[in-house]
Amino acid sequence: MLAFAFRKVLTLVGTMIGIAALTFVITNVAPGDPARLVAGPNATEDMVTTIRTEYGLDKSLPEQFVVYMGDLVTGDLGQSIVTTRPVLEEVLRYAPATLELVFVAMAIGIIVGVPLGMLSAVYKDGPIDHITRIFSISGVALPAFWFGIILQLTFAVDLGWLPVSGRLPLVTRPPETVTGLLLVDSLLAGRLDTFWTALRHIILPAIVLSFPCLASILRVNRAEMIEVLQSDYIVAARAHGIASFRIVAIYALKNALLPTLAMIGLRFGWMLGSTVLVETVFDWPGIGLYAVSSALSSDFKPVIGVTLVIGFFFIVANTLVDLAYAWIDPRLRSA
Amino acid sequence: MTGPLLDIQNYRLDIATFDGPVHVLKDINLTVNRGDTLGIVGESGSGKTVLVRSVLGIGPKASKVVEGKIAFDGQDITALPEKDWTKIRGIRISMIFQDPMTYLNPLFTIGQQISDVIAAHEKAAGHGVSLKTTRRARTVELLDQVGLPNPAMLFDQYPHQLSGGMRQRVLIAMALSGKPDLLIADEPTTALDVTVQAQVLDLINSLVEKLNLTVIMISHDIGAIATIAKRCAVMYKGEIVEQGLTADILSAPKHEYTRRLLAAVPDIDTAATKVAAQPAVAEPAKPGVLLEAIGLKKVYRSQSGTEVTAVNSINLSVATGEIFGVVGESGSGKSTLARMLLRLIEPTSGDIIFDGRNISGLTGEPLRLMRRHMQFVFQNPHSALNGRHTIGDAIGEPLRIQTSMSRRDIEARVEALLDIVQLPKMFKYRYPHELSGGQKQRICIARAIALNPRLLILDEPTSALDISVQAQVLDFLQELRAELDLTYVFISHNLAVIRQICDRTIVMKRGEIVEQGETETLFLSPQHEYTKALIESGRKTSRAANLSAPAVS
Repeated sequence: MLAFAFRKVLTLVGTMIGIAALTFVITNVAPGDPARLVAGPNATEDMVTTIRTEYGLDKSLPEQFVVYMGDLVTGDLGQSIVTTRPVLEEVLRYAPATLELVFVAMAIGIIVGVPLGMLSAVYKDGPIDHITRIFSISGVALPAFWFGIILQLTFAVDLGWLPVSGRLPLVTRPPETVTGLLLVDSLLAGRLDTFWTALRHIILPAIVLSFPCLASILRVNRAEMIEVLQSDYIVAARAHGIASFRIVAIYALKNALLPTLAMIGLRFGWMLGSTVLVETVFDWPGIGLYAVSSALSSDFKPVIGVTLVIGFFFIVANTLVDLAYAWIDPRLRSA
Repeated sequence: MTGPLLDIQNYRLDIATFDGPVHVLKDINLTVNRGDTLGIVGESGSGKTVLVRSVLGIGPKASKVVEGKIAFDGQDITALPEKDWTKIRGIRISMIFQDPMTYLNPLFTIGQQISDVIAAHEKAAGHGVSLKTTRRARTVELLDQVGLPNPAMLFDQYPHQLSGGMRQRVLIAMALSGKPDLLIADEPTTALDVTVQAQVLDLINSLVEKLNLTVIMISHDIGAIATIAKRCAVMYKGEIVEQGLTADILSAPKHEYTRRLLAAVPDIDTAATKVAAQPAVAEPAKPGVLLEAIGLKKVYRSQSGTEVTAVNSINLSVATGEIFGVVGESGSGKSTLARMLLRLIEPTSGDIIFDGRNISGLTGEPLRLMRRHMQFVFQNPHSALNGRHTIGDAIGEPLRIQTSMSRRDIEARVEALLDIVQLPKMFKYRYPHELSGGQKQRICIARAIALNPRLLILDEPTSALDISVQAQVLDFLQELRAELDLTYVFISHNLAVIRQICDRTIVMKRGEIVEQGETETLFLSPQHEYTKALIESGRKTSRAANLSAPAVS
């Protein structure tokens, strides 16, 4: 198992280097002279040359690549042109909000999706199955911005149960930053009221973000459960007199969970990338918003920074899924 | 206790399908007394599995009892509610299954699965679940009872770490955990190797004696039934066509179907009649060697770096026109060898010489063209055909890939091939699921001979088929060889089949040839211990089944 984990971590490092190289290539393939872009439309030729030297753009591509990778290793993602602050610092400031949103959305997706998938498999073609089918199709089909606005109108504007947008009201003093996740930090600081406020703020965006993910987890888990429930060892478990609930919830679910896990890993990355829309609708101060505003002002370093960070979390999530696979399936451990 | 333990009366069962109800069981009458050993013989689709599963209340979901009832120990269990079953299933009636790999949950340890069953039984009995350690001790005791070595260590192992025979023992241990009155064995030896089959049958027999078990065993293998069951019922198309003492049925079968079934069972102790006539046909035509393997070796390396030698430096030569048998148990490397001969698997080292030409170095186009001379027939015809292609597409595929024949020519050739394999021309419009197993295997053979190959490699071509179908396919293969001047490499674990059709045979064990020679010589005076053991185990069930056959000196 340890050797397996070690190999997985090695792959993680390798993939990370690959992503870094790829982002480097993409930025150099993109048209336009970055130095001229930075200097602005009215800059003189001298100014452009100065900037080019300053940013190391006058060196050959391989040299630039070495410098770029070297900077990455030391955690230097460059500087934002707009704010003139280190990109790493800014990304680290915005990332926790996005991660918090994704974690909560993922939790909703798993906690609701897996049992619903189980139920619709057990009662296949029954009323529950039909309802979850409608539910999951709409989950994939509804555009996030539209669904978000509808939820805002209903629960925030009309009913007034939940706040419309934002992460915390301006008047609330945020808890001391430990993890950057408000829900966790407020609990650590022992401030239940802040926890409650933060929770009320995150519910709507998390539901919107989780909906497509929930739908696909539900579908995959349903399909797998149906298949597993027909397998020989389930027949055998029934014949041996094991209780039905135990058969479904333990014997079958553990087997059905493997493909569902793979789906969860993929959906995690997808969510990180698609927070942009949800963050825009709910004015959520995460890296999605940061990336969009940077891109709109042709500020490339932050965009690359965000890409790398999302890539990093995506790979980490999938490595964890791989490890969970091996934890669940003994056949993978010896391989 | 008076009365029979199990009493099935006028039992009729329908299964609902899109095309209306199918009568799966018709008017079943069966009585099992305490201490009985009853065998139920029948081919796939005869309804025997549905019948015994009904006894456990785990029959197919869409089924409906039309008439009759099943009584267990005086209690009517035909329409028992699910919660009452918990007092019966696994406790009073328990079951062992066909394929020990798929019937064990791969993600739980052996110990956990058996302890769970014990816990379920204790719960059902109403006197609380015992401690983990108590259950562990009981599990170890059960594993020991079925003759598994080192039971304490086995407790923490997973199914995939065990061999097929060990897994079947684990399943038997699980079935015994409730001290059942009635043990149902559903094809318990079908998925096992010959030598292991014999051991498992011995185990069941000894348990019957020791624990005074009542056993119902179903199988398509009449030999296995004969070694266990004193009484026997023959099922055919959902009906019991004959029942009585096993010895009587074997020696004097009354029903037409039973007679056919018995006649189809190959006898390990009968020399094939065709062997004598064979050399006269083959030798003058084209003497010489068609296929040769020199120092053929395959080493598999797992991710963790351990090496497994699947096939170790094998030398063999197959003469033109002969049927060359390869026999061995699972894991002996016979399938790897077969695939290497066609270069479907790349050998680690060694040479393959086909018709005087070394094909081990061939790549790309020359290799592709070479393949038309050598074709493969797979074990399981159900998975060897693409369910979304028509039969015509399947047979025509090699023609489309390897030749530049026009559509019309291909159509004509497909029809001709269907004719050769003795199937109606109209079959080309059908899909695989509409065909029986035997028909599908004929289609696979038609596909293999489409390009007029000179060599056919048949990897257990009959082991997924029913016995009567197996006999037909074997006969057909022999006819075909004479007609088309083919050479066969025939792989099987079934010694009786090998003896029936192969001219020369090699016996493989752990990747090596332990013995080779003329098939008859091999059977009459085996030299190697392993060959002797194989023949002896095969003889056990074969003898039992061939009581009726005229004795052969």
